[in-house]
Amino acid sequence: MKTANWLVRREFWENRAIWVIPTVLGAFLILVALFGKVDLMAIPSQLPSQTVGGGFLLAAAGTFFVVMAIYSTWYLLDCLYADRKDRSVLFWKSMPISDTTTVMSKLATALIVIPAVYFAAADLTSLLMAFILSIRARSLGGALWHADLWLQLQVLWLYVIVTSAIWYLPIAAYLLVVSAWAKRAVMLWSILPPIALVLAERWFFGTHVIANQLGTRLFGVELAFRDAQGCCSWVTTVVDDKTIRTPANIWGFLNPGGFLSSPETWIGAAIGAALIVCAIQLRMRRTEI
Amino acid sequence: MPALIEAQDLTKSYGAHVALDRANFSVEAGRIVGLIGPNGAGKTTALRAILGLTAYQGRLQVLGREPLRDRTELMRDACFIADVAVLPSWLRVDHAIDFVAGVHPRFRRDRALSLLAKTGITGRRRMRELSKGMKTQVHLALTMAIDAKLLVLDEPTLGLDILARRAFYDALVNDYMDETRTILITTHQVEEVENLLTDVLFIDKGRIVLDSSLEDISTRYAAVAVAADKLDAARAEKPFHERPMLGKVVLYYEHPDLAKLAAMGEVHSLSVADLFVAKLSGGAE
Repeated sequence: MKTANWLVRREFWENRAIWVIPTVLGAFLILVALFGKVDLMAIPSQLPSQTVGGGFLLAAAGTFFVVMAIYSTWYLLDCLYADRKDRSVLFWKSMPISDTTTVMSKLATALIVIPAVYFAAADLTSLLMAFILSIRARSLGGALWHADLWLQLQVLWLYVIVTSAIWYLPIAAYLLVVSAWAKRAVMLWSILPPIALVLAERWFFGTHVIANQLGTRLFGVELAFRDAQGCCSWVTTVVDDKTIRTPANIWGFLNPGGFLSSPETWIGAAIGAALIVCAIQLRMRRTEI
Repeated sequence: MPALIEAQDLTKSYGAHVALDRANFSVEAGRIVGLIGPNGAGKTTALRAILGLTAYQGRLQVLGREPLRDRTELMRDACFIADVAVLPSWLRVDHAIDFVAGVHPRFRRDRALSLLAKTGITGRRRMRELSKGMKTQVHLALTMAIDAKLLVLDEPTLGLDILARRAFYDALVNDYMDETRTILITTHQVEEVENLLTDVLFIDKGRIVLDSSLEDISTRYAAVAVAADKLDAARAEKPFHERPMLGKVVLYYEHPDLAKLAAMGEVHSLSVADLFVAKLSGGAE
């Protein structure tokens, strides 16, 4: 446990981007809130204040989440490769730390630590933005300060972190394999094999099973959410003859049972586990570029 | 007591290139062993196998363990500097000490700090801000502060100036070395380590060509410088190497008849460097 703690600290020393990027993003959003043009006319006045507040919180959190996904991908591709590139792998391996522990520390950093940092940064930024916007645009009233919305957002973040960690495990593990294996151009090497497989399948069999599978895996964490129609409580608002339906809360959308009982979830996790074993073996045997 | 390192038929090939070719050697506890060979002889490969950094064929036991499989346990009792300048450029000196102190049960922080204090390198600097020699000194301080049974050094003083090199070897022998430790060292500068080694292993083309203690070398080998008129008589004694020097010829012998040699010219014992050159530049022409 002590070793794991030091290994995560080491990731923060090495990859200052883990906290620099969310800090810069947060600072940028706060500047926008401070000096940007607040156009309240764009928000239909008929919308309930809950909807406005929810939209604001989701937009802020979503921005952080997208940036996090991009950075985590890069982090996973780079982490094991960087050690070999600057040859520091020889120093790390002179410590009594197993390759399994090292690889797991990188995985945990990408799937838990980095999301947690972005979660905190998103919360802090939203809080400051809500404060600034409420002062600048008094007509917003209490729209940004619904305590239950804030609570729902915390739950949503935790739920997304946990479900994505399981769902994207095979992709994260695959990136680690590339990072432990490639001699150069990790980015290229991560993209080429899947593309080659998809093209080969199309060429030889005329089918696109792999492409579909990859597509579901990349965009398929929706399995963790219930399909919108019928399941949940909605708020209906009529704006200029158009009906706008917005969810009343997130509770109905979360589908942990469906996610955890889906074979797709666990087949992916099993493939992920196998790829992690590959990454550990490569880390054991490959010390050179 | 079993040997600290025991290698039998240690073999490692990279594709068609055989880096280690059924090498056999052992290292006893309490020795300072120099692994000496020309470039590409397999020195680094041998060290990597010993340290569990690479897969190999043959049998290899280090401190009673199989290095590749048991590297984590092995690294509690063994430490190494595998090459110069491998500390990552982003690492701060104080963080490096904190990290090793945090993960290594045998690391002594006070020792590392006192070693570093002698170099004048301050804590908050990053490796990228240090010169190559300073980086090496930080690495040496970190490694020598670990109470290890086996210390492996691969060209430890490359990039250090002569003052730092001398200081390093003095510290190694006087402060670090004791009967509980064993040191395995490779270097190009044979002359520099010659007087601190207790044993040498010569390696050439992936094979061990000489495994000897230094006492053995002084009794087993001799050289004689002869003038041209005695050359044929000297060659009859089966030298394994000869080279011309200042109008005379120096001939090298294993298990020589010293009385006969003394009659032909000036006899002297061999330094490790002499023996290395003689052994590796092939037989007498």
